Amino acid sequence: MKWRRFNAALHRDIGYLCIGLTLIYAISGLVVNHISHQFNPSYTIERNETSVQPVAAPVRPDIDMVNRILGQLQETGEFKNVTMITPERMRIFVEGNTLDVWPVTGKVIEEKVRQRPLLYELNFLHLNKSKGAWTWVADGYAVLLAFLAITGFLMIRSKTRTRGLVLTVIGFLVPLIFLIISQ
Amino acid sequence: MKKVFLMVLFCAVNVLPVMAGQITLGEQLQLTEVTKIYEINAEPEKYLGKRVRVEGLIIDVCSARGCWVDLASDVPFEKIQVKVVDGEIVFPMEAKGRTAIVEGVVEMLQLNEEQSLMYAEHLALERGEIFDQSTVKGPMKIFRIRGEGARIL
Repeated sequence: MKWRRFNAALHRDIGYLCIGLTLIYAISGLVVNHISHQFNPSYTIERNETSVQPVAAPVRPDIDMVNRILGQLQETGEFKNVTMITPERMRIFVEGNTLDVWPVTGKVIEEKVRQRPLLYELNFLHLNKSKGAWTWVADGYAVLLAFLAITGFLMIRSKTRTRGLVLTVIGFLVPLIFLIISQ
Repeated sequence: MKKVFLMVLFCAVNVLPVMAGQITLGEQLQLTEVTKIYEINAEPEKYLGKRVRVEGLIIDVCSARGCWVDLASDVPFEKIQVKVVDGEIVFPMEAKGRTAIVEGVVEMLQLNEEQSLMYAEHLALERGEIFDQSTVKGPMKIFRIRGEGARIL
């Protein structure tokens, strides 16, 4: 029948169109599904303890002290800011690193943050962080996915009817069972 | 036509880095008057339920979902938390150390002792710190801002 050919062509061409976005959403979907305090899908966060030469705790943050501390740690990131979190603890912010310093003891805890290459960009798109125009692109993709589902279902023919119907029903049953179990 | 295109491209390339400096999140900021963070901390009940505009240094960002930031107060060693709805606003980790202007509504969390322990443990996990149970003395009232819009400078 002519409509079957048209349906197959539509399914194929929409499929091609969706390859890129499907890979983006699939990869990003996999990683964001595992967000936890131990795993940030967009950043690597590395915390480690080190030390510098002890000095008297400043009443106010002292930029010379900051530069000496950063020099001792060989930290070359661009300086952003500094503040006293408590009377004993100073927090220094540089690009890619946050350093908590206890001047009196010399203890330093660094938190180095790096964007995960590629994953950061994929998650940025998937989670629609930019909002605006991308919202429309994402909505359009959702509509195309729905089209793929419908045209795919309509591709069930007499030869594959039983298998097609069984697999389709399983596809609906799995989320339904999970919903029922989790209520 | 080619010259116009090249000119527009040149302008865009030069403007984009400047634009990329400021980050706007959530709703547009409406208020003009800034409320000092120390004033909210000193009399939180006075601001409960009210929309406020605050400014402060971002000293911490949620490392899991970017769903809260701590803003330093004008008074040393004080801070206030700005909590946002997960996904509606996501504070980037790069926001740490930058100044933020935030608008939102002051809210209160009333926690019993068990909830306070869970809350404190959850915060410690998010900050990558070891949870010290002895720091929780009993039921807690936590005042924070439910953020609705922010601009990171």
